[in-house]
Amino acid sequence: MSTLDRRDFIKSSAASLAVASLVASCGKKQEGDSNAQNVGGKVDQLGIKWDKSVCRFCGTGCGVLIGTKKDKVVATKGDPDCWSNKGLNCVKGYFLSKILYGKDRLTKPLIRKNGKLTESTWDEALDLIASKYEEVLKRDGSDGVAMFGSGQWTVFEGYAALKFMKAGLGYISKDGVGSNNLDPNARMCMASAVAAFMRTFQSDEPMGSYEDLEHADTFFTWGANMAEMHPVLFSRIMDTKMKNPDKVKIVDLGTQYTRVSEESDLYLEFKPQTDLAIANYFIHYIIKNKLYDKEFVDDNLVFKKGETNIGYGLKDGGADIPKTAGKMTKISFKEYKKFVSKFDAKYASKISGVPVAKLEEAAKLISDPNRKVCSYWTMGFNQHTRGTWVNQLVYSIHLLTGKISKPGEGPFSLTGQPSACGTAREVGTFVHRLPADLVVKVEAHRKIAADIWKIPVEKINPKVGKHTIEMFRAIDNGKIKLLWVQVANPYQSLPNLNRFTKAAMEKDVFIVVSDVYPTRSTEVADVVLPSSMWIEKEGMFGNAERRTQHWDKIVNAPGEAKNEIWQMIEVAKRLKIDSKTTVADKIFTYNEKTFYKDMWEEYRLFSLGRAKDLAPYDVLRKEHGVVWPYVAKNDKTDFTDVWDGIENTEANDYVSVKWRYNAKYDPYAAKFIKDHPERTFKDGIAFYKASKSDYCATVFAVPYEPAAEVPDKKYPFWLCTGRVLEHWHTGSMTMRVPELRRAVPRAVVNINPDDAKRMGINRGDLIRVKSRRGEVVFPADVNGRSVPQKGMVFIPFFDETRLVNQITLDCYDPISKEPDYKKCAVTIEKV
Amino acid sequence: MERRDFIKRSVAVSAIGLTGGFSFISLLGNNKTYYFRPPGAVEESQFLAACIRCGKCVQDCPYDSLKLGSLEDGINIGTPYIEFRDVPCYMCADIPCIAACPTTALNHDLKDINSSNMGTAVLTDREDCLSLNGIRCEICYRVCPLTNKAITLTKHPQSITKKHTVFEPVVHKEICTGCGICENACPLDTPAITVLPTERGDKAAHYILLREQQS
Repeated sequence: MSTLDRRDFIKSSAASLAVASLVASCGKKQEGDSNAQNVGGKVDQLGIKWDKSVCRFCGTGCGVLIGTKKDKVVATKGDPDCWSNKGLNCVKGYFLSKILYGKDRLTKPLIRKNGKLTESTWDEALDLIASKYEEVLKRDGSDGVAMFGSGQWTVFEGYAALKFMKAGLGYISKDGVGSNNLDPNARMCMASAVAAFMRTFQSDEPMGSYEDLEHADTFFTWGANMAEMHPVLFSRIMDTKMKNPDKVKIVDLGTQYTRVSEESDLYLEFKPQTDLAIANYFIHYIIKNKLYDKEFVDDNLVFKKGETNIGYGLKDGGADIPKTAGKMTKISFKEYKKFVSKFDAKYASKISGVPVAKLEEAAKLISDPNRKVCSYWTMGFNQHTRGTWVNQLVYSIHLLTGKISKPGEGPFSLTGQPSACGTAREVGTFVHRLPADLVVKVEAHRKIAADIWKIPVEKINPKVGKHTIEMFRAIDNGKIKLLWVQVANPYQSLPNLNRFTKAAMEKDVFIVVSDVYPTRSTEVADVVLPSSMWIEKEGMFGNAERRTQHWDKIVNAPGEAKNEIWQMIEVAKRLKIDSKTTVADKIFTYNEKTFYKDMWEEYRLFSLGRAKDLAPYDVLRKEHGVVWPYVAKNDKTDFTDVWDGIENTEANDYVSVKWRYNAKYDPYAAKFIKDHPERTFKDGIAFYKASKSDYCATVFAVPYEPAAEVPDKKYPFWLCTGRVLEHWHTGSMTMRVPELRRAVPRAVVNINPDDAKRMGINRGDLIRVKSRRGEVVFPADVNGRSVPQKGMVFIPFFDETRLVNQITLDCYDPISKEPDYKKCAVTIEKV
Repeated sequence: MERRDFIKRSVAVSAIGLTGGFSFISLLGNNKTYYFRPPGAVEESQFLAACIRCGKCVQDCPYDSLKLGSLEDGINIGTPYIEFRDVPCYMCADIPCIAACPTTALNHDLKDINSSNMGTAVLTDREDCLSLNGIRCEICYRVCPLTNKAITLTKHPQSITKKHTVFEPVVHKEICTGCGICENACPLDTPAITVLPTERGDKAAHYILLREQQS
């Protein structure tokens, strides 16, 4: 930017904007109209080349336009044509380009020699990695290796990793099958949401769209600090509120007072874990006052009861979890009514600490037939030892009231990573999954994958692999001997970190870390592979509203840094099946010139006809994001007879579905309803994916159960961890942006003012926070941006110099296997 | 930015009726320059009379926020001052600088640091302020030690996207202590929010504003 005159620069971009708006005004602008003026590598009068891309941080998926000159990013701007953000960014997005240019980018492969990471050549590093794969796979079989990936993988990377692990390694391993020990850090992020989607609707990911933010009039935020974690989306909620201040209500439910609470009309501060009791009370209220939608219940819902006392995954291998933990038993509506009858306001108030009057006020709002209600949540629900339960309870609320799959009405699980949906969930880079909601344990699903991949079905391992926590425990227990970490920093983000870091250092395990900067994970690696990041390679991300966004490779990576796909292919090339063929010959057969297109079109086959239909490569390359299902009028399925009844299909042979299951928007729903004349479907909503429960969504009966570790005399405080607006995840990128680092240079421990006063703690005092697993010192913040309830402290996890995860607990939800970073017991004292 | 430039930065503020921990000095012609004193500093002429240049407040500041004036700084040699963009005042509850002061240059009656008044933060660059441009920044708001009191957010519609909200940071000068943490944290190269000498004009007694009627 320094070589450019800012004034000229702005003038030129204003000119292109004017052209764009002129084009837009020529006709009604529809989502999906592309604006070729400022993208696609066009060069403006200042010699700046403009391309489209998407923000590298959270799951909102804000579009950004990237201006480059001489292979360097000289400017970025919000993309007005991306419907997820309409051109706006948060302050992290403002500094996005700087994440490429940190001074300590990794540019050479490093191999640990005599305890020190030493520069090497790619050949040496790749030969070493391949020889380790050979050694471990031939000795220990497919169980001996693991890969820990990411919701920040591009879709291509995740898909390549999936094939590498689940198909490719089967050609080398002793047992002749691939390894399912592939899990993403998304396990720590939204696995509970996934489990609940699958158990409720039998199809993953939200039904709604960000447009709900404009259509709704009642917003429930459940343990979600959207003001800081999804700043651009929260800004839309506030706009909706400003436009109709008397009607629109924001109800914030949380364990600490945040910037959302500040803007809310009603704040319910509940004791950690008791969201279960509150959600059950809302259901109780709905049933008792007959506020449920009777027709909708009759047409579309089935009732099931869950198992109780399901454990916390505290013992290795989940030894404390009953085998039936995830079982759901069908019950009648009458039985369901009886089950929730005990969760009255008095009960919920006693457990949660929320006054009865506030509970009633919230219950009234969420069940009001004249209100359009949306629920939003993220980690508060997902990082929860009963996360699947609480997700399902919120679905139950929306299902009973029929407030679902309609503009402005629905439950919406937000995501924290740019491609948690697009890569981790849609590609299925989990220990139990394959693309498009298919799973390894079902033979028919393995067959689908084997057919698409053109490999023998026997190569795909039917045994579910070791999920994140068990994966890292297995390293400690000597069961996993080779771990490849890509685009993730587990040695900062794992709970009960001391155990896992110690294991990484002391156990016989070979750890490869592919990353762009030195992190706490590269510190324990045997080999560090320098990776290209973000726009240094072609990629796609999929955001929380099911929008897939493509970008071209825009700049070159520094030094010898290479794409993770290249890294995996090079290892696969070194894994010889016989004298002539390698693993790469079996799984990476794409044409070099059309590599990404070939790969995408192959991957896309999984989605077609399953109501998960992804758009073709050429469409994604052109458009500024396309929401799936992107349904063709007549391709895998013939929708011709219902096509005219679908909104926004005029003169189009494709439609992007904004509200799934709703026949007005979703051709699959319309078709399903047409094909089932014997049934009625209230409001034209059909849960056509729920084949295992007669195409009905599941309303779930489970009680409140306590957290895994509860404060006691010795450790009297709850510890909750999370993020701040300025930094993202482990800070490996944002802490390298000088401006963001200056703004928030270190993590602090947020303490309730009453507790602070009682203990004589002032802002800035150094506080030792101690749990059964370790201790860490943080400066105190009292009455700051986050004010925890009495008896709780909050600490963000971005700061690599003060690792809060050294004291967190590695318990997890027995159903989703997602750890609970929000609840463990600590004690605090002034240093 | 050069430290000298920073100190010499000229501003157009009225010098009438100023009290508190800051001072104007005339260096070059009509260029007016100001600098800021530690919390509890008395009115500048009294401060200069009382301060014995012992440097004890500087020594006891745990964050090195306080510096000693040198000839080069154009500040009375040996007197303490703060550059907020460099290191702001982190508002220690026990106010060690005042405790260390052997004279009356710093007001020993000041017990609550939140009542101190080193200056007042002002959104000086409304055009470049990221928050006012709709970027979800508001760093100044969130880092303010008097959260949601000294700085609050006023909401306006985002006129370009028509779908978002502009969160405007508004400083309340009665509450702002002028600690400079916001100025320090502002992510722009030249901070859009800066601490200026507090203006203490007579409050207009002849009219009561609507917001005052409400409160």
